[in-house]
Amino acid sequence: MTETVEFQLSEEHRLIQGTVREFASREILPRAAALDRSSEFPAEIIRSAAALGLMGMMVPEEYGGAGQDSMAYVIAQEELARASAGVQAIITVNNSLTCEPILRWGSDDLKRRYLPALADGRSLGCYCLTEPGAGSDAMSLAATAHLDGDVWILNGTKIFVTSGVEADVCIVYARTGPEPGARGISAFVVEKAFPGIRVGKVEHKLGILCSSTAEIVLEDCRVPRGNLLGEPGQGGRIALATLDGGRLGIAAQAAGIARAALEDALAYAKGRRQFGRAIAEFEAVQWYLADMATRLEASRLLIYRAAYLRDQGRPYTKEVAMAKLFASETAMWAAHKAVQIHGGYGYVKEYNVERYFRDAKITEIYEGTSEIQRLVIARHTVRP
Amino acid sequence: MGVNVVVCLKQVVDPELPAQEFAVDPHSRRQVRTGKALVISTYDENALEVALQLKDKGAASGVTVLTVAPAAEAKDAVRLALAMGADRAVVVDDPRAPALLGVEKAALLGAALRRMGGADLVLTGCESADWVERVVAPLLAEAIRASCVTFVSRVEAGGGFVTVKRLADDGVHTVEARLPAVISITSDESNRPRLPKIRDIMQAGKKPVETVPAPALGDVPGAMADGVEVREVAIPARTTTCEVLEGEPAEQADALIQRLRALKVV
Amino acid sequence: MPRILVIANALDGTLARSALELLGGATALAGAGGEGVDALLLAPRPLEDAAAALGRHGAKRVFHAAHPALSTGQTDAALVAAAAAAARAEPEVIVAAADTVGRELAPRLAFRLRAALVTEAMELRMDGGALIARRQVYGGRAMATLAVTKRPAVISVKPRSFDVPEPSAASGTVERLAVEIDAQALGAVVRDVAAETAEVGLEEAQVVVGGGRGIGGADGFTLLQALAEALGGAVGSSRPPADEGWVPISWQIGQTGKTIRPNLYIAVGISGAAQHVAGVSGARTIVAINRDNQAPIFSLAHFGLVGDYRHIVPALTAKIKELKGT
Repeated sequence: MTETVEFQLSEEHRLIQGTVREFASREILPRAAALDRSSEFPAEIIRSAAALGLMGMMVPEEYGGAGQDSMAYVIAQEELARASAGVQAIITVNNSLTCEPILRWGSDDLKRRYLPALADGRSLGCYCLTEPGAGSDAMSLAATAHLDGDVWILNGTKIFVTSGVEADVCIVYARTGPEPGARGISAFVVEKAFPGIRVGKVEHKLGILCSSTAEIVLEDCRVPRGNLLGEPGQGGRIALATLDGGRLGIAAQAAGIARAALEDALAYAKGRRQFGRAIAEFEAVQWYLADMATRLEASRLLIYRAAYLRDQGRPYTKEVAMAKLFASETAMWAAHKAVQIHGGYGYVKEYNVERYFRDAKITEIYEGTSEIQRLVIARHTVRP
Repeated sequence: MGVNVVVCLKQVVDPELPAQEFAVDPHSRRQVRTGKALVISTYDENALEVALQLKDKGAASGVTVLTVAPAAEAKDAVRLALAMGADRAVVVDDPRAPALLGVEKAALLGAALRRMGGADLVLTGCESADWVERVVAPLLAEAIRASCVTFVSRVEAGGGFVTVKRLADDGVHTVEARLPAVISITSDESNRPRLPKIRDIMQAGKKPVETVPAPALGDVPGAMADGVEVREVAIPARTTTCEVLEGEPAEQADALIQRLRALKVV
Repeated sequence: MPRILVIANALDGTLARSALELLGGATALAGAGGEGVDALLLAPRPLEDAAAALGRHGAKRVFHAAHPALSTGQTDAALVAAAAAAARAEPEVIVAAADTVGRELAPRLAFRLRAALVTEAMELRMDGGALIARRQVYGGRAMATLAVTKRPAVISVKPRSFDVPEPSAASGTVERLAVEIDAQALGAVVRDVAAETAEVGLEEAQVVVGGGRGIGGADGFTLLQALAEALGGAVGSSRPPADEGWVPISWQIGQTGKTIRPNLYIAVGISGAAQHVAGVSGARTIVAINRDNQAPIFSLAHFGLVGDYRHIVPALTAKIKELKGT
């Protein structure tokens, strides 16, 4: 593991890294290709991950979580994504986009009711923010929620919900106030079991195929009053703060994919012989590998710094945007080069690199496109 | 109730290290350890898993890990073993440990066990991943006057004895050994070492670890392998040059069969 | 030249091949004009033929321990007989095969006799007064040379390390060794023996195809089986496939004494990093098939085929069948 001047992995972090790596190589790696072919939800793997404590890594032990810090989290996410970005997507959404907002903004009652099940795998979480008309401009969302006695009534359509099919606990954003933009939005914990919520269209995607992506439709969905997160009108803040944490997970996902691309390309280049020698001996190939390795290290350092700041309780929005931006572009570039190094074999499903190529693309898009990340960074850098 | 189990662990340089990184120090006549990743010796992990399964079933009242090692080196292995589920650890701090032969190790382990008040069941790996002498379990059994079975894949405890499956040259033996017993464990589908839960990795730091300096064990008879001297440990010179057969699979197959026919092997 | 006692295992009722191998090695060690080599024959009942065979292969005196407790896997009983033989013959060096019983017997006997101990030796010779033993260490990556000056010394020898000597017409003296074994007092007792059956035993096969972690699953082994069948050989594996449950544990090479010495060994998807190597280095010709051209197995192999075994192995099988006209 790289050790830099600032970061030295503690004994616990090293043990966690080793354990998750072993878990990924035993349980996930052998099944990753098949899961991609079948687009099947990896139920058994998620169960095993939950048993290890991977589904609620940062949830305090009193709520049944593993009580870990962000550093342990990003280390674990990279190991999981190296084996399968699809499996890791399911896990990171459960951790960062479901457990975290409940932990930070939920009442004691909400925390007690939902966190233990989310942490031990009895429940699976998803995040409903995006709408057909509100993507990058998330705060223009149109779903509504109004109070009717002791019940919120929610209406709207959410799209591109990761784990939308299998999840039973959803964080849903809807407009509760007349104020335009972020200030009129509130966040809710909505169970699939509540009346008036259903899964709509299920998307067929380019990559992360074992992770379902679906439409969630709310038609007079009845949500108990106590399931509001924070205060009415705080939804915008909650969404943005939650996305910051989510970007840590996605950045780590991208690093995992980049590492997979590098490792596979390296192994292939050493074995493939043309013109009487291993192609790893040709300078062009060596330079690709060198660049892949360098960019991966840089991604990691950005990720670790963002995680470190978060653990210190310091603002980390700019840093995590940098990490997500850089790591996702690295993953896409590295996967592309990995396919190229494999030549024709990189284009066929017998080898894993074409999957990395397809999986990597989403990291440049979800939880804030690269364009949005640049906006965020610019806002912090070019402040008047 | 249940038996009191002690698992003997040892740390070795990762045996999966690439060949280029394997080196022998001509002075110590042992593998170069500095800067190399250390892991728990392969079969010792299986032994620990067997112990933990006995604990899960209620057949073991407690699992203690015991190791003879330089204390600083042993920390990771001890932490991992405690994270997997062992209850406590005893570390005999001995800077000579990495260079000691099995005979010497067994003597120290025996002395440590006596100091701990003995154990009902002692489990070790069937062989260490480095010197592969396969002597610690039988010697330890003699030192503490226990019964002994080696190369065991499964253990059941009950009624003052253990029933084990020994993987023998000719098949599988079912053996009954009376307690106290020293059993050496080999790997099997049933004893794949478990992964520690993330939470337990943190909790492991709170479990008791007793460190005993080796001299505190007193004069240990047999702690010196007198009369046996390691004269040399050398990497054999490569006598074979590997001919790499190129081309598409069909061409490679052709080329190989030609060579094998010429050698009259096929 | 030292007085040597060879422990000859006939616990299952037949004389083990290793006993004759040990006689070959011990005779060379004892040298000419010495006191010769003695043998302790362990058997559940009197075996005159086995005792005679030991004599023909070089044993000067055969101490025959015959007792029902001396049966398959009964180390504790064998220990009693071995201690009795040591008291009777007063050997300077005791040599046992590193088989199931020998691996337990040698260290325990050494402890009881306060003898020096070397296990899993592959070569033995004298150097002045010192007994020199060589053995593999570090999973087969290095060889250790040990000098034993203490007497008595107990040595266990890896099977197949020595050749069976040419028998002569000579016969040794056979003496019944009285042993008192209290079957109730034995620490460990074998209750059941489940013998493994294999069409072509791994240890006897002239051709072995071995699969490693690189095979990726149980399915891949069917390709290896087809190849082995075409070659008239057996299939084995390194440790990971057995641990994963892809193959039965009896297929494992390099462990539980399954050392093989075939004419041809084809290692498929085996990195060659550790223990496995120790079990196969005696093969006459080694072929390695692996995707990684840096894999350590290539430094051991005579022929290397770098590539995907899923393409190479069927190509080989097809060519061989073509050759054989099957």
